[in-house]
Amino acid sequence: MLGIVLADSLFMIFIFWELVGFSSYMLIGHYLKKPSAAAASKKAFIVNRVGDFGFLLGIILTYWTFGTTELTALAAAVDVNEGTVSAALGLLLFCGVLGKSAQMPLHVWLPDAMEGPTPISALIHAATMVAAGVFLLARVFFLFTPEALTVITWVGLITAFSAAFWAFAQNDIKKILAYSTLSQLGYMVAAFGLGTTYGLAQGGDAVLYGLGAAMFHLTTHAFFKALMFLGSGSVIHAMHHEQDIYKMGGLLRKMPVTGITFLLGVIAIAGIPFISAGFFSKDAILFVAKLQSTPAFVILVITALMTATYMGRLFVVAFLGSARSEAAGHAHESPWVMWLPLVILSVFAVGGGYMVLYPGVLHGILDGAVLHPKGSDKLLMVVISIFAGGGGLLLSWLFYGRNSGNTDALEAKLPAVFNVSRSRFWFDELYSAYVTKVQQRVADLIDFLDTLFIGGLLVRGAAGVAGLFGILARSLHTGSVSAYVWWFFTGLLLFLAYATNVFSLF
Amino acid sequence: MSMLANIFTAAHEQYPTLNASLVLLAIVAPLAAALSLSVAGRLTDGAVRTMTVVGFAIPALIALWLWPSYLLTQPDGGYAFTSRSFTGLQTFGISLYLGLNAIALPMFVLAGLTGLAAALYTLKMGIDRLRLFVVLLLIMQSGLMGVFASIDVFFFYFFHEFALIPTFIMIAIWGRRGRKSVALEMTIYLTLGAMITLAGLLLLYLEAGVSEFTIPALQMAFYEGNLDNWIYVLLLIGFGILVSLFPFHSWAPRGYATAPAPVAMLHAGVLKKFGLYGLIQIALPVLPDAAASWGPLLMWLALANIVVIGLVTVAQRDLKLMLGNASVMHMGYAFLGLYAFSVIGVGGAILMMFAHGLSVALLFMLADGIERRCGTLDMPSMGGLAQKAPVLMAFFVAATMASIGLPGFANFWGELAIFVSLWKSEAPWVLIPAILGIVISAIYGLRAVASIFYGDSPAQPIQGGDLSKTEKLAGVVLLVGLLVVGFWPRSFSDAIHQSLVDSPFAAYEVQHVHTFED
Repeated sequence: MLGIVLADSLFMIFIFWELVGFSSYMLIGHYLKKPSAAAASKKAFIVNRVGDFGFLLGIILTYWTFGTTELTALAAAVDVNEGTVSAALGLLLFCGVLGKSAQMPLHVWLPDAMEGPTPISALIHAATMVAAGVFLLARVFFLFTPEALTVITWVGLITAFSAAFWAFAQNDIKKILAYSTLSQLGYMVAAFGLGTTYGLAQGGDAVLYGLGAAMFHLTTHAFFKALMFLGSGSVIHAMHHEQDIYKMGGLLRKMPVTGITFLLGVIAIAGIPFISAGFFSKDAILFVAKLQSTPAFVILVITALMTATYMGRLFVVAFLGSARSEAAGHAHESPWVMWLPLVILSVFAVGGGYMVLYPGVLHGILDGAVLHPKGSDKLLMVVISIFAGGGGLLLSWLFYGRNSGNTDALEAKLPAVFNVSRSRFWFDELYSAYVTKVQQRVADLIDFLDTLFIGGLLVRGAAGVAGLFGILARSLHTGSVSAYVWWFFTGLLLFLAYATNVFSLF
Repeated sequence: MSMLANIFTAAHEQYPTLNASLVLLAIVAPLAAALSLSVAGRLTDGAVRTMTVVGFAIPALIALWLWPSYLLTQPDGGYAFTSRSFTGLQTFGISLYLGLNAIALPMFVLAGLTGLAAALYTLKMGIDRLRLFVVLLLIMQSGLMGVFASIDVFFFYFFHEFALIPTFIMIAIWGRRGRKSVALEMTIYLTLGAMITLAGLLLLYLEAGVSEFTIPALQMAFYEGNLDNWIYVLLLIGFGILVSLFPFHSWAPRGYATAPAPVAMLHAGVLKKFGLYGLIQIALPVLPDAAASWGPLLMWLALANIVVIGLVTVAQRDLKLMLGNASVMHMGYAFLGLYAFSVIGVGGAILMMFAHGLSVALLFMLADGIERRCGTLDMPSMGGLAQKAPVLMAFFVAATMASIGLPGFANFWGELAIFVSLWKSEAPWVLIPAILGIVISAIYGLRAVASIFYGDSPAQPIQGGDLSKTEKLAGVVLLVGLLVVGFWPRSFSDAIHQSLVDSPFAAYEVQHVHTFED
């Protein structure tokens, strides 16, 4: 991952890109005895390979179009010759992002990747792997045309919205976080698309708005998502490897440090104004969306509302109320090695957003690239954030808070909606049907044809023909002298005919 | 570093004939070991084993010595370490003319390393009539070292047959179920291929009117006559059969699945490369126009290797059949590199040949180890091997990752160079199905890893434990070769480039660069 960050050439990025894919394959498959871990790791690698297929095509196309894959040289080349970049090139590179940052339709590997140990999930989801895709966008932002950016924007929007919707039907604490990661990644990708499109129209350094917003959210998201994953790890540890939130409940009193830091993470992802990192970065994204496209803005606000609601659901069900199982009743706070990182991360989850507003660690890097609302817009954005974040949390408390049973409130009250959410739009079913019904059958058929025609008819057939000649030739050698005399005379006649040029008469 | 480099250059300067003699010794040593093993009377088991290791270690060490020596003393990629021994056939322009150029060097190193690994594994696998087996294997090794060190075309061909005949015998005696018919099919098929090749080579020799039957003499002649198209087709089909070019591939998967592991390692890993090597060294440089005009045919056949055989590989349940098919599939990449007909494409094909040789040898070795532990080769009925043999798993995953082109292994550079070259070939769209191949290989490779190593223990108990020391050493020999070239591809590619830029491909390359800059 450090290699991807440091590399200055697309080929080098691709090399480290593959190595990240390989490491995650090994880490997701860590639990060797679980067949599900084997399947998940395989899926992650293969789905990423599908994305890399386009990425590599894009890199080769870049190489032959510009004669280099050095990013600095590329940027200069694009600057000099306007219009050399094609939409196809950008979209091919974006295929790599589809795989690594788990955008629709290559998102299926990420929730399954939860089979790995929890620290791995935190690492993959917060700092590495999925970040690589968004980071790549930021490195090659100058290679995208407006058409390509439109596609990128909508892929991001659809991913953000769908994943947030799917999170409602998940009961596994890590799966909920996984879908929230998907959704937030969609946010970043959409932010990149929207901001860059807007910036292109504005001209000058404004083109950086997209990557600024995306990278800013990537950074703050890393804080609170790592926090929540490690928090969930602490919970799972306390619950003796129970991951179902409907077997938890009342954990806030049992494990106060984990509970409070988790709450700070929830507040951060919901984007409650001023006391969370998520507010500032989400605000920047929403503001760019508002300037660029109203439908995108509406979708993103609804997604923000949904995000706050399902994260609220997780917190309300797992940490509030009363214990729903024996394990939850006996849960204890984890040792300090487990909660200390939580406390550290929660400081960043709360305060991480200020680093852009005030001179701070990252000020020189991201400042100027992040667009901030001014004047009346500022108030409007705060109101929208309160509506989406606070409203979502409130909604979840009202909807899920009063239910202390073991069933989901949404499932009980609106089963149709719940089932659609649970289906995850049938992507997994579709893919597995493709693999087992189409791919495997085509492979079997081709194998059969290969064995039948090439190995059988052609090769064995040729052998058979040769054998037939052998049989014919053998039958001539009857062993009887009179037969040989006849052959001899026939040969003699043919020889005479040839010698006297009889054949030329015909 | 520079001190180390000094050793190689100083040795070369002080004893100019040293390296040339070493080339000869690499061929003679295994043969001498084989001879002494067969004529010596009663020998202890230990003596046989020592002899085997010595017979295989000498060529491997020589190859490792010559590799840096070549790079340091022969920067232009031409023939070095040449020697000529007369054989009484001078009137036909034939003599035992040995030496290495930048294309032969990787193959020579490949033969040395793979041979050593195969020998180490042989000693460990507990084979019946070990002495007879290693005699045959040593003869094969001698032929392998000779093939790639021969500059003389007659001996190039002769050494190939020399290595091929023991292969048939070993399959017929030590193969698994169905060995007789497989050995027969392979013998007839490969002999046919070799004979077609011979016809092509002889025609070329006669038509080109050169005074000696050597690779450089033929390259110099640069034949342009009426027969060039026919000769090229003969060579393409003849060599193609030997490399399992579609549709002449059906011998390969069953042959490798049936052969004892060391034979599969040496044949799939090294001997098979004879065909590609011949096309690169002889057919393409001597008949460039014919090669260009037959390019489309080669392209379609190579694509069939990748896509059709790729899907066939996905359908396999038997581990060794899967590996055999995968090896056929990967040859498609090398053929595509030839089709691209550029320095980078052919260079990529050479790297690919080297990398594929090491990785497929490693995979066949490990597959045999897996078969001995699980008692079956049927992948769906395996499982849980990781708990019993974690080191075996690590090697298998590494080999699988190498063969599906993970960066860090030599295979990646071969594939990447071929992909890059395809975009500038006659039909750039070929790149799309070609890259699709890397998804296909990921599918079957990872599926194999998942079904062999993951999960709980299978119904049939696993025999034996993890890899033994000798097996680990054999694996390390192969893996280190892959990693060295994977991390430092220039250890071959610079010299290969130098050697290819003077060839007719270079003319095509220059055209491309010009059109690009305009």
